[in-house]
Amino acid sequence: MTEPENKLALSYEAASARLEEIITRLDSGQAGLRETLELCKEGRMLVELCAAELEAVGRGLEELRLEDLVARLEAGAGAQGA
Amino acid sequence: MPAPQLRPLGIDGSSLPGPYPVGRYADGLRDFLRERPRVQLFGEVWNLRLSRAKVYLELRDSDGALPCSMWRNDFDALGLGERTLADGAQVVIGGGLDYYAGSRTSSPSFSFAIAAGALRVAGEGDLLAQLDRLRKTLDAEGLFAPQKLLARPALPRTIGVVTGESGKARDDVLAGLRRRGWHGRLVWAFAPVQDRHAAPRIAAALQDLAATGAVDVIVVARGGGSLADLFCFCDETLCRTVALLGVPVIASVGHHTDRTLIDDVAALSCSTPTHAAESAVPVHCLRAREDVIAFARRLSVHGRRALLHRAQTLARLSRAPGEHVAGERRRLHQRLREIRAAGRRRVHDERARGASKALVLERKARAAALDAHRAPRLNALALALAAHDPERTLERGYALVTDRGGEVVTSAAAAREAGDVRLRFGDAAVDATIGGDDDRA
Repeated sequence: MTEPENKLALSYEAASARLEEIITRLDSGQAGLRETLELCKEGRMLVELCAAELEAVGRGLEELRLEDLVARLEAGAGAQGA
Repeated sequence: MPAPQLRPLGIDGSSLPGPYPVGRYADGLRDFLRERPRVQLFGEVWNLRLSRAKVYLELRDSDGALPCSMWRNDFDALGLGERTLADGAQVVIGGGLDYYAGSRTSSPSFSFAIAAGALRVAGEGDLLAQLDRLRKTLDAEGLFAPQKLLARPALPRTIGVVTGESGKARDDVLAGLRRRGWHGRLVWAFAPVQDRHAAPRIAAALQDLAATGAVDVIVVARGGGSLADLFCFCDETLCRTVALLGVPVIASVGHHTDRTLIDDVAALSCSTPTHAAESAVPVHCLRAREDVIAFARRLSVHGRRALLHRAQTLARLSRAPGEHVAGERRRLHQRLREIRAAGRRRVHDERARGASKALVLERKARAAALDAHRAPRLNALALALAAHDPERTLERGYALVTDRGGEVVTSAAAAREAGDVRLRFGDAAVDATIGGDDDRA
């Protein structure tokens, strides 16, 4: 896995669930000015994360055999080791 | 009449006899097999197939199996219902080995030919009972739970699929993923999905996929078949492998009536490979993209609104000191006006009160002057009045005569008439009775 740590820490479902919470809070009109700005900032980060996840499964179906995957992973590990 | 075959040369150096024409050898084999002793066998029926002319089945037990066949007429004559001779039924059959030698256009086949009337159902299959026992054992060991506790990602990046290379299940999985709008990385781990070699190969494929560490979820798919075809998915080692795998497994072995054991141990069991593929990607990717775009728009609206609100607040705050001073000035002016008005009112009231007091004093002074003028006159009148007071007369020796009722008696006649009178002197009164003659003046 080559994803950054923060993306590993937050899955797509957790990010989208948090986004819905943020939108619900903002729509309620109960958030103060400071909270609104902080929620918008967090929301934009989550939107970018969700968009990146969707982009990763939207570029085009990649089919490969298990042997190819294993070979690719071994080649990657070898390159890293070298 | 087939053309006569030329006998080719044999293999160099081979000590084996021949070569012989295969048809003739097959005929010989058939004759050889048919000469074997006819026997009775018992075992479990699997893969029962009825064709118009013949009935085919496999007779199995834990050590081996034998393909069997009987004529359809003989089978129908037994009067067995489909449920009586279902897969897993224990039967005893009688007959002998047979071999169909085939031809240039048809395949050969070997079977144990069941003689007419030589099939007896002896009970339910032992394999089904074994399956039931194994299911209870795995359940008691808690092996149905671990897979279900694994978190299945809503949007897996890499999906592993274990299936037959040539089966229809492969296309169904792709169709299911397309329906979800998913275009990630798909790793195929092909393995046989039927026969006795299938289970170890499937287990190995699952372990290899999980070992890569790059697969988020695994689908095990097969296109369907009888329970006998799917029996490899009830293999104990395979089921234990699935139960303890660190990657969630979605099973789809396409059987509606009998549940295989992999259905029980897997994280999720689906009826079709298409459904399994859809379940592997719970999020509909196209709709999710629309949702994310909508989220971004709403966040943008809220952000702009918040900034506008902040700007308005700052503007209001910047105006506040001036407005405060102006308000205080207005309030002070108002207070000053009120003080002035109150002063004027007080002066006016005091003035009115002073005038009223002066008037009263003036009247008092006038009344005092009038009293000083009237005093001597009043004294004279008082003296005159005192001179006429009857009390003063009584003090000089006169008496006042009254009757009992208090009326003044002013004549002798009246006194006689009254009889009893009261004489009032200066100091006190005494009662008297009138008697005797008149003493007229």
